[in-house]
Amino acid sequence: MVSKVDVAVIGAGPAGLAAAISARERGAERVIIIERAERLGGLLPQCVHNGFGLLYFEKDMTGPEYEKAFVDKANSLKVEFMLETMVIDLNEEGMLTVVNRQQGYKKIKPGAIVLAMGCRERPRGALGIPGERPAGIFTAGTCQRFVNVEGFMPGSRYVVLGSGDIGMIMARRLTLEGAKVEAVVEIMPWPGGLIRNEVQCLHDFGIRLLLEHTITFIHGKRRIKGVTVAKVDRDLRPIKGTERFFPCDCLLISAGLIPENELSKKAGIELDLVTGGPVVDQNRQTSVPGIFAGGNVVQVHDLVDWVSWEAELAGAAAASYADKGKIKRADQIRMVAGENIKYVVPQYISGKDDVTLHLRVSRPGLRANLKVGNILSKRFRSVRPSEMIILDIKAEKLRDARTLKELVVDCKLEGGD
Amino acid sequence: MSKIETEVLIIGAGVLGAATARELSRYKVDVTLVEKEVDVGWGITKANVGVVCQGRDTLEFRPEYHRTKLLWKALPLMEPLCKELDVPFKRVGAYLMIRNLARKDKLDKLAKRTESLGLGTDTYLPYSELKKREPFISRDIKGGLYDHAIAVVHPVCLTQALAENAVQNGVNLMLETEVEEIQTGDSYFSVRTNQGEIKTRYIINAAGEWVDKIAAMVNADDFVLFPIKGYVGVLDRDCSELAKSLLAILPEEPGDMNIVVPTVEGNLLFGIQLQINRRHDHSTTEHMARKALENVRKIIPEISEKDIINSFCGYLMFRNFEIGWHECEVAMSSRVSRFVNMTIGYPGVSASPGAALEVVEILRNDGLRLDPNPKFNPYRKGIPDFSVLSEKERKALIKKDPKFGHLVCRCEMVTEGEITEAIKRGATTLDGVKFRVRPGTGRCQGGFCGPRVTRILARELGIPETEVTKAGKGSAVVPLRTKQLLEEGN
Amino acid sequence: MRERSKSLWLIASSREVIKVSRREIVICIGCPMGCRVTVTLGKDGSVTTLKGAECRQGQKYVLNELKNPLRTLTATVRTVDEDFPLLPVRSSRPVPKTLLQPIMRETARIRIKTPVQAGDVVARNVQGSKADLLATTDWSGPGGEG
Repeated sequence: MVSKVDVAVIGAGPAGLAAAISARERGAERVIIIERAERLGGLLPQCVHNGFGLLYFEKDMTGPEYEKAFVDKANSLKVEFMLETMVIDLNEEGMLTVVNRQQGYKKIKPGAIVLAMGCRERPRGALGIPGERPAGIFTAGTCQRFVNVEGFMPGSRYVVLGSGDIGMIMARRLTLEGAKVEAVVEIMPWPGGLIRNEVQCLHDFGIRLLLEHTITFIHGKRRIKGVTVAKVDRDLRPIKGTERFFPCDCLLISAGLIPENELSKKAGIELDLVTGGPVVDQNRQTSVPGIFAGGNVVQVHDLVDWVSWEAELAGAAAASYADKGKIKRADQIRMVAGENIKYVVPQYISGKDDVTLHLRVSRPGLRANLKVGNILSKRFRSVRPSEMIILDIKAEKLRDARTLKELVVDCKLEGGD
Repeated sequence: MSKIETEVLIIGAGVLGAATARELSRYKVDVTLVEKEVDVGWGITKANVGVVCQGRDTLEFRPEYHRTKLLWKALPLMEPLCKELDVPFKRVGAYLMIRNLARKDKLDKLAKRTESLGLGTDTYLPYSELKKREPFISRDIKGGLYDHAIAVVHPVCLTQALAENAVQNGVNLMLETEVEEIQTGDSYFSVRTNQGEIKTRYIINAAGEWVDKIAAMVNADDFVLFPIKGYVGVLDRDCSELAKSLLAILPEEPGDMNIVVPTVEGNLLFGIQLQINRRHDHSTTEHMARKALENVRKIIPEISEKDIINSFCGYLMFRNFEIGWHECEVAMSSRVSRFVNMTIGYPGVSASPGAALEVVEILRNDGLRLDPNPKFNPYRKGIPDFSVLSEKERKALIKKDPKFGHLVCRCEMVTEGEITEAIKRGATTLDGVKFRVRPGTGRCQGGFCGPRVTRILARELGIPETEVTKAGKGSAVVPLRTKQLLEEGN
Repeated sequence: MRERSKSLWLIASSREVIKVSRREIVICIGCPMGCRVTVTLGKDGSVTTLKGAECRQGQKYVLNELKNPLRTLTATVRTVDEDFPLLPVRSSRPVPKTLLQPIMRETARIRIKTPVQAGDVVARNVQGSKADLLATTDWSGPGGEG
């Protein structure tokens, strides 16, 4: 048993680092980050590209630079780290069971916990692509780790399935590293990642983006030899006769990210079926008192800056909880995803304080009219599911809504799809 | 190229070949087991769903079939065998269910026959009773027969354990050894392989998917096999509670298999969507996947596409398919002496302990001298499974070897200690490690642990990471180094 | 819309085509807004009107994209440490798009043998771009702590 820990943070990625720093700054004495990997930073060390920190530091930084800024700060604040340590259990009382080489098997009961496990990639098996089961199929993130950190290239000729950000960024990286990317195949009529990635990663290098296409067969017995790609109809079903063969020795899957919530389930935390993350209130407290969550474990963000921002909320609230034994719950009003809204985070707000809503639309379109109950409306020239909408609401705006139990958010498309 | 002499050559290290090798290792006889793949149990065995059955679970069951006799012989052997080899054996029980009360007479007939044969009593349960035991079954199910004896094992782990124990007791195991040609001599066979020539007195043909092709090399193919491709889907651990026992629907059309099987690890498998197919094509198809999902939803409607974390196809080699149903055979070829064909096809895992005994009998009757091997040790210790150990056991294990305190695979809770032990026991590839200790079989399918297991393999095998393969030659995981392509362009 | 913007992109990066008087859309990537900026070009290739950019920087970006597209290059270079085989680097300033591949080929010729800190120059004036390659993280040298 370690001596009293005020706040334990699970995960040392951008979320975990920000949460720990914020907890220390809010007065938590002993803050420990528990990380399963051999080093800090989560996925940041492998994200050698730039585009980080534009909002947070108002500076264009690379992943390692963004990481270093937080690691340096965490070190100066004497945040403690346990590396290569897996949290194998978390129960409803907030008891952590951790395992590592040096200390073996131990239990920690901190004053408060911040979940910052991030997310994982959707693998191939889950997508159920028919075909053989050869070597040479990777998720984009795993390939990124091999290429940028471990120093290995899985192949020289690639097809990328899915146009998520990591997929597009990898298409560029592999091209820069001398490989050929035959195509990025996206089943939806719009790309899955940010516009800037579509432009800078694909257009810049003349990489084909095949929208409304999917892979219908994987060829190759030992090592992948190619894929069959077909156009899909409105119901996303492959259209017969449109099949094309693309030779490749590697297939990358970039088909979305799933918040990593195995531990949350063990602790009996209520999860949002749409976001895949815990249901949280304005302070990022989960349904289990004393357990907070921030970053991609709550909702998959587009920008790491928002991961840090959200985790800071969670870290600060966790510090208060550890100090006072509890903090006031901010769950007076439930946020409801209405027309053309996929989800809203946080799922509960206090109605008394300023709040920032994170939400995504279900369908893209032009001239969108976003409404929060009848207290706020905002117009957007265009909206896309891949670009998160951030909405600040001042407390005074919420005054009229205080008596309400729920607030519905709608996003009507006036310019059509 | 080396030249090896042996008394008994077993071709194919699937569950049958490995079981036979292990059975023969009880005796003072020189046994060589050859396998064309880089590891054991990677042919038909790999696609077996691991059900240990008595063969009375289908209507086609006939007491006079060799298949039936073989399974009866094998069934009581399986549990003690798993104990000796320290591999999991889980008695899950099974429900054979109907969706139409008009078919209840079939179940009655089956129950009566089971009882008259002295195989115990199967109880018929109406829907209301079934629902209490398996709360997730479909409302369309009218009732079912309960068979408590049905158990599951892990086919590949069992095969690995059998092979390991056989080697421990003196069997010569040769991997990546493919039989290319067999010449028949007066008192021996001369077998040409890609690893050199093997001179042997007896050949046990346990080549699974290729058993007829091997037999044809010496004109011993006095049988016809029909390759039936089977599709199996794997469900996420989160779905484990959806079925506690094996759930099956009484075939509504001949050959229509529709089952949900809990594995020893707790995942559910479903299928088996069958179709006659060209061999060597192990690809899954959209059609099979869709049909299998449609079918399983007739048993448990809650299962959706989202729950499927993996799927695979394998072959069932049906014999006598043309006359109605599949038959198993373990017999000396009628045309070539000292050449034994094992055409089990299905259900190979259940039949394996019995089939191995039959081979021993055949060899003995043919005059092979089988004196007991005084050094035979039936016990083999399994690799510790961190995920199922108690707190006390885990602590002790980490104290003994800190590598057990380093979790490499989050989804399946696999430690570095287990991975290095798997490599010590013969795993040389990612799949080899995966089939022994499971990293990469969980819901992230190796996203996190893949690079780490690759690195551990390279370290333990003393090879560069670029030479680590997924499943043997031609399947390198990361064949190039970063910058290599740029250098080639420079 | 998509096909158009893509072809326009190609046009924007090819000077010859700009000489023709036409209306173009350039997607601004300055921020996640992704403004679609409409630009009208005169016969001599000069910009006559520019609409749709939400901010000044966006306008600047679009004009630059038409004239001389620049990119910050990020990459890795090899070290002599097996446990830390690659050091991430970036260009100290944006470089012309056409130099991305030549600089990448240069990264393959670099091998770092001594400790570096984030911000240290690992290669000067790569491919005559006036940009240096800077380390973006620390490396404590071979056998160090990473």
